[in-house]
Amino acid sequence: MIASSTKPGDALIELVDLEKIYRVGTELVHALRGVSVSIRENEYVAIMGPSGSGKSTMMNILGCLDVPTAGKYMLRGRDVSTLSQSRLARIRGRQIGFVFQTFELLPRTTALKNVELPLMYAQVSRKKQRAMTALQRVGLEDRATHRPNQLSGGQKQRVAIARALAQTPDIILADEPTGNLDSKTGEEIMAIFDSLHSEGQTIIIVTHEEEIAARCRRVIRLHDGRIATDNIVSRPKPATQYATVTAQ
Amino acid sequence: MKLNPGKMVTAPIRFAIGMISQTALNVATAFVQIWANKGRSILTTLGIIIAVSSTITVVAFVGGFGKLMTDMVQGYGTQFMVVRPYQWSSSQRGGMKRVRLDITDIEAVRTECPSIRRITPFVFTHNGEISLGNEIAEDVPVRGVTEHYQTIRNFHADVGRFFGPVDVDAAAQVMVLGRSVTKRLGADESIVGEHVYLDGNRFLVIGLLEKKGGNMGEDQDLTVMIPYTAAIKAYPNLRESIPFLAEASSPEATHQAAGEITRVLRTRHGLQPGQRDDFRIDRQDQAVKRFESVRNIASGILAGIVSISLIVGGIGIMNVMLVSVTERTREIGLRKSIGGRRRDIMLQFLTEAVVLCIIGGTIGVALGYSMTFIASLHPQMIEIEVPLWAVAAALVSSAGAGVVFGIIPAFKASILHPIEALRHE
Ligand SMILES: Nc1ncnc2c1ncn2[C@@H]1O[C@H](COP(=O)(O)OP(=O)(O)OP(=O)(O)O)[C@@H](O)[C@H]1O
Ligand SMILES: [Mg+2]
Repeated sequence: MIASSTKPGDALIELVDLEKIYRVGTELVHALRGVSVSIRENEYVAIMGPSGSGKSTMMNILGCLDVPTAGKYMLRGRDVSTLSQSRLARIRGRQIGFVFQTFELLPRTTALKNVELPLMYAQVSRKKQRAMTALQRVGLEDRATHRPNQLSGGQKQRVAIARALAQTPDIILADEPTGNLDSKTGEEIMAIFDSLHSEGQTIIIVTHEEEIAARCRRVIRLHDGRIATDNIVSRPKPATQYATVTAQ
Repeated sequence: MKLNPGKMVTAPIRFAIGMISQTALNVATAFVQIWANKGRSILTTLGIIIAVSSTITVVAFVGGFGKLMTDMVQGYGTQFMVVRPYQWSSSQRGGMKRVRLDITDIEAVRTECPSIRRITPFVFTHNGEISLGNEIAEDVPVRGVTEHYQTIRNFHADVGRFFGPVDVDAAAQVMVLGRSVTKRLGADESIVGEHVYLDGNRFLVIGLLEKKGGNMGEDQDLTVMIPYTAAIKAYPNLRESIPFLAEASSPEATHQAAGEITRVLRTRHGLQPGQRDDFRIDRQDQAVKRFESVRNIASGILAGIVSISLIVGGIGIMNVMLVSVTERTREIGLRKSIGGRRRDIMLQFLTEAVVLCIIGGTIGVALGYSMTFIASLHPQMIEIEVPLWAVAAALVSSAGAGVVFGIIPAFKASILHPIEALRHE
């Protein structure tokens, strides 16, 4: 599904000594204090850590929503930490798919139109058809004309995932995607991510829940703006991975 | 390589299609947003609505009166002038000398002024009494003129005939009636050939004037015309104070003609240099100029009022757009996070402001039309019409107000930081 100009094994994301300092009044808050990490194509990464450890800050920088105070962020070999606002917007629109804890769907707008939105900004053709395909991926093609207030929480998040998928992004970034959902619905959302990963999608998820992290292939734990641990979760043969996970 | 299903379409075409569909979507979003806040939107556009509707109405009225004036002026011709005895200031000559203008003066003007094509004395009384049998018409304006009056003032007889030079020379007691007089006398066209009495003098009705209708509240058909010679006989006291109407040979010769009249009359009245004229020349071309300058001033004032009310309306729009940007901060953050650039956000909110203003403008135009329509139902109303250019100008300027007053809120939206916007509560 996802073709790439980078060879498998090359780093898709390369963070080098990334620092982020917020200034609140006269006080400086060090949210990230030198994070170096490399993420390859088709990795399935969980980012964990206590509240305030810098997870969201890191995700926002990965998603080009924010820029680091110091350090370098290479995306597909390109240094994006120095790009202009409109270049960053372009990257957000074409290479990144963001999924938020609070869904962030436009009210009074149908599921389909919500999914079409990034396609409009990217000015691509056949928006409706692509948006419909993305909705099919999350199993919501029959809810295309529903508005957010006619959808359940889990359905809303699935629409949001479809929106993130619409532009066939390089990475999907999800900041606590199940945080506002009950565990059963969270499970459904994770099943979608699992399936996307098995199709070759690179996914990074921030989560507080160990069960969710356990489904990923790699767990990075942050502590006070630094990487505390970075473990590859060993798995049985790749071909059965997906089956194993969904059977749990 | 990323999949590119649209690669068959060339980039510029795709860009154009993208722009059009984005604009269409922005307009659709604007309507959804405006509809979601119906009450607020209507109140906001009230300023624009009032500005546009009052402009449309006033423009229609000014246009109507303008047309009326133009028609009137065209009826007279710009080379037309009226000369009256006139005392500019009584102190200068002790106020005792009688102002004179008599038939010999008029004859002199006729023979000595080459730039004048036609001339007619105008012996006038506004309260003639006409009787036919027991029927009496009072307060009828009586005009003692020559046959030239027909051409100069565009009055023609459509039943019977107007009097000719022979009647004038003979001071014949003949009369041409306006239709309103006929009506007041309870008569119809058969009155031609009958005799009537004008302030005790017996006149033969020889013709009826064609119907002219009202003009600025004056019934032009309420008049009778007789040879000026007969008028002087009937009203001897008017003999020494006779105004006259003159027509220059061409519009360009009007000024020249007025100069000639002045010279002839001053010489005949023995006025010394430094003494003021004892007559007054009212020129139609000057009246036209005066009217035009009044109309220009009125248009200027109107334009001022329109711009002020558009500014007031625009500030209302700006205010509600600022509120809207604040309310939708999260939406703006989301749009940015999925690829919306500053200019995309800017365009979206600008479109919304413009759509809001155009809706206001359209309602305003409709309201203006209704008001002029209702006004035109009044029987004594002059003919008024909303000119198309005013509608176009109203819509364009309301859209312009949308751009001007939408730009600050749109800019404010566009520079929001995506993360801070998404955190907004
Ligand atoms: N806009 C900001 N201004 C100032 N300080 C900020 C800002 N955003 C984050 N911080 C601070 O940076 C630190 C890291 O915040 P961040 O949101 O990344 O934490 P987190 O790991 O996502 O926490 P949580 O699990 O609660 O979401 C915190 O101390 C936070 O107070
Ligand atoms: Mg967080």
